[in-house]
Amino acid sequence: MTKILNILPLVAFGVLIVVLYSFLTQENDQLESVLVDQSVPEFELPSLEDPNKLIQKSDINQLPALINVWATWCIACRVEHPFLMKLKNQSTVTVYGLNYKDSREKALKLLENEGNPFEFSIFDQSGKLAIDLGVYGAPETFFIDEKGIIRERHVGALTEKVWKEKFGKYLKDKADA
Amino acid sequence: MLKKSLFVLVIGLSFSSFSAELVQAESQEVYPFEDTLHEERFASLLTELRCPKCQGSSLAGSNAPIAKDLKKEVYRLVKLGKTEEEVKNYLIDRYGNFIVYKPPFQSGTYILWLAPLLFFLITIVVIAINRSSFSRESDS
Amino acid sequence: MIPEVGHILLITSLVLSLFGGLGPFILKKELPTKKIALVMFLLVLGAFIALIYSFLIDDFSVAYVAQNSNINLPTYYKFAATWGAHEGSLLLWILSMNIWLVGFIIFDKNKNKYFSDIVFGVSSLVIFSFLLFTIFTSNPFDRILPITPLNGADLNPSLQDIAFTVHPPFLYFGYSGLLLPFAISISAMLSGQSNQEWASSSRPWTLMACSFLTVGIGLGSWWAYYELGWGGWWFWDPVENAAFVPWLLSVALIHSLLVTEKRNLFINWSLLLSIFAFAASLLGTFLVRSGILTSVHAFALDPERGLFLLGIFSFFVLGGLGVYAFKNTIKSQNSFYSLNSKEFGVLLNNVLLVILAASILFGTIYPLIYEAYTNGKQISVGAPYFEFIIFPFAILLGLVQGVALYLSWGTTKSFNFITKLTLESFSVFFLTLLLLFILFENLIATSFFIIFIFSWLIAGSILVNLRFNSLSTYVEFINRRIGVLLSHLGVAILVLGVGVVSSYSYERELILGPGEGIKFQEKEVELLGISNSMGSNYISKKANIRVSTNKGGFDLISEKRTYIPSGQVTTEAGIEAGIFRDFYVSIGDNLEGDSWSFKLQTKAFIRWIWLGALLITLGSFISSIKLLRKQA
Repeated sequence: MTKILNILPLVAFGVLIVVLYSFLTQENDQLESVLVDQSVPEFELPSLEDPNKLIQKSDINQLPALINVWATWCIACRVEHPFLMKLKNQSTVTVYGLNYKDSREKALKLLENEGNPFEFSIFDQSGKLAIDLGVYGAPETFFIDEKGIIRERHVGALTEKVWKEKFGKYLKDKADA
Repeated sequence: MLKKSLFVLVIGLSFSSFSAELVQAESQEVYPFEDTLHEERFASLLTELRCPKCQGSSLAGSNAPIAKDLKKEVYRLVKLGKTEEEVKNYLIDRYGNFIVYKPPFQSGTYILWLAPLLFFLITIVVIAINRSSFSRESDS
Repeated sequence: MIPEVGHILLITSLVLSLFGGLGPFILKKELPTKKIALVMFLLVLGAFIALIYSFLIDDFSVAYVAQNSNINLPTYYKFAATWGAHEGSLLLWILSMNIWLVGFIIFDKNKNKYFSDIVFGVSSLVIFSFLLFTIFTSNPFDRILPITPLNGADLNPSLQDIAFTVHPPFLYFGYSGLLLPFAISISAMLSGQSNQEWASSSRPWTLMACSFLTVGIGLGSWWAYYELGWGGWWFWDPVENAAFVPWLLSVALIHSLLVTEKRNLFINWSLLLSIFAFAASLLGTFLVRSGILTSVHAFALDPERGLFLLGIFSFFVLGGLGVYAFKNTIKSQNSFYSLNSKEFGVLLNNVLLVILAASILFGTIYPLIYEAYTNGKQISVGAPYFEFIIFPFAILLGLVQGVALYLSWGTTKSFNFITKLTLESFSVFFLTLLLLFILFENLIATSFFIIFIFSWLIAGSILVNLRFNSLSTYVEFINRRIGVLLSHLGVAILVLGVGVVSSYSYERELILGPGEGIKFQEKEVELLGISNSMGSNYISKKANIRVSTNKGGFDLISEKRTYIPSGQVTTEAGIEAGIFRDFYVSIGDNLEGDSWSFKLQTKAFIRWIWLGALLITLGSFISSIKLLRKQA
């Protein structure tokens, strides 16, 4: 019996080491979205382009789509902008913008200078819709499927690589169906 | 812990003539409350909610933009009369359990809360086995 | 040139440490361990000085200097930047391990050369593995060539502070000091050294390591309080827990070694705790530097380094436990001791400490476990959990410590002391409540539990006058046991500080414009004005605050600093320190014009926490020195 007790600490720490090893090989620096498998929340906010026009959830109707959280103060958004333009030009998927805590003037100016990849942009100056979506910074991109359900959220710049690895599979499902 | 200090504030108020001061000061509060219960609840919540973007700060201890936005949201909800549970659930619905510092007691976290008890039992068992093997040795 | 010299010194010490490590085991030779230890120490010291020199002359061709320094950084911080990030702090770790080893070689009075050689061998192997890790993955002497930056990135502004520059050295000395008890336990198991001898060899070093850990942790807490700007002093942050766990285990080890030395018991406890404490120390290093935990002060690193560190951890911990399981030549003893003995008291104490340590460790890594097993879902485990867990342990440990000095070895003859102890505790309890009522005009029921434990501890630690017939024998007793009494007293004072600050502190967040005032906690608080200011590497907005009562007052300054090289913004709090109460002001946001938000706080008895930590540090240090001198 004592023999077993002597080996017990060795075994316990062995298990701990295996567990720690598994943590190392796990890659994670993003907060998982808890809105996955839920539909986009209801909202009513002005559009960026036309302050008199109000946008609602039902206006997000060209599905599947991306909702991209962006702002002029966000540096990584500049990095992903060309890729978003590419998505628009190739008509791969509709991209809706969520202009997050920004100045309307600056935002419109930026779209004028760099091109507008968005079908339209929601002007969320207070960040209320962003909170409802569980957004905690920019850039973030949500993938909405053809039924209006959020399937995934990516935190950080959207690149070709991220598109292929994270979002591509949802479009393939559609193609296969 | 902050809960206790604000409980104190309430007691203190009843012992002194602070109430007049509070009304006067209300206009200068960053987050003004009419109800001291709400004030207490707000301060308590800020220490129990985690800033989603920071490296381990509570909403109370962070100046990050998202933390400020969430503080405003918590303020709005508390002013509406929501309970602590309701405010926490509202945020958990949007940000997940990550946003509260107190882990839930549900499947997946039972073992976390029961761990000390488990460790205690293991230790007792190990010591007992050790003792009994000793007495067996000395008997033989 | 100098960085290359530093690099070569490291490589030389690497080779030497490998030789020293394998000597006793593979070569089975008798080594001139004193000389080798001294040379290794000098080599690493030389490398460390080379790094400091590179900082002081602004040699930005060295990558580490470029990442952590800046031309405009004040000279003292250039010096301290040496250990401000991963590579340099690792070098400091290695230097401290060398210092401990040299200390052991010089001051340990053991006659058994074989025993000392294995201690030396194991220690050298540990040093070797860290040097290997440093040279191959974290070389502080890597150069940026051919284009040398003209200026560096700057030291992280939160680190540009006196307390934070001394906190790492003390902490690392504490962590690395646990190397000696570990090496001693391995050597004991392999060499067959008598329990009394190896335990008495180990105890002073464990005490000293614990002493450094205590002051290191205390400094970290004090720094966090005044630097982070919102009045907190402990956050159950993973990195804090990573230091707390080895501290708890080292305390348990000290008591276990005492029993092993005096009574030849608890041998397995002492051996295992020696291994566990060092394991916790290595684990802490791993957690902080591997990138798997998010924390305000984790080093932002990559998993490959984490893998190497995990390898080091596995080798020594599994190696040590393997020796324990299969190559242990020590036979366990059994001896009778009753439930009312000192031995049983220590057993209880250690069971509680070990379970608490394991629980805190488990809680710290649980978010990672949960994420792995739910495929990505995340939770946080923070203060509410840890405070809930620690409360019962604090109560039970307090009760045990209170009676500790009354218990005798083997069996305690009479329990009369319980009555007297209880009476004295209640006296102290009521006196304390009276003091609190006078100071704060208030009594809070939720604090009574902790204040009672404080009283119990005071009665148990200081008022231990039952056995003494005269004042002179009492004084002689205090003199003889000064280390123990100071440490135990320190615990009592720390407990009181924690209890009072949690219940008797107040805070308010308000908006003030220049000339505006408000009444807070019986004092008039007025914003005199906002001024612009600058330091050598920052610009700031200074708020001048006047706090006054009809008996007088004081002025405080709280600043919002923007550091120029990095753009980082920090808040400097204005603190009026007091033995019974701190008055704390921190500037918030600029709302409109010159109106700013401010957080006002009073923190009651907060200094008692660090005073307690200081007493524990002093007490354990004194005990350690006394034991080392006695060995001769």
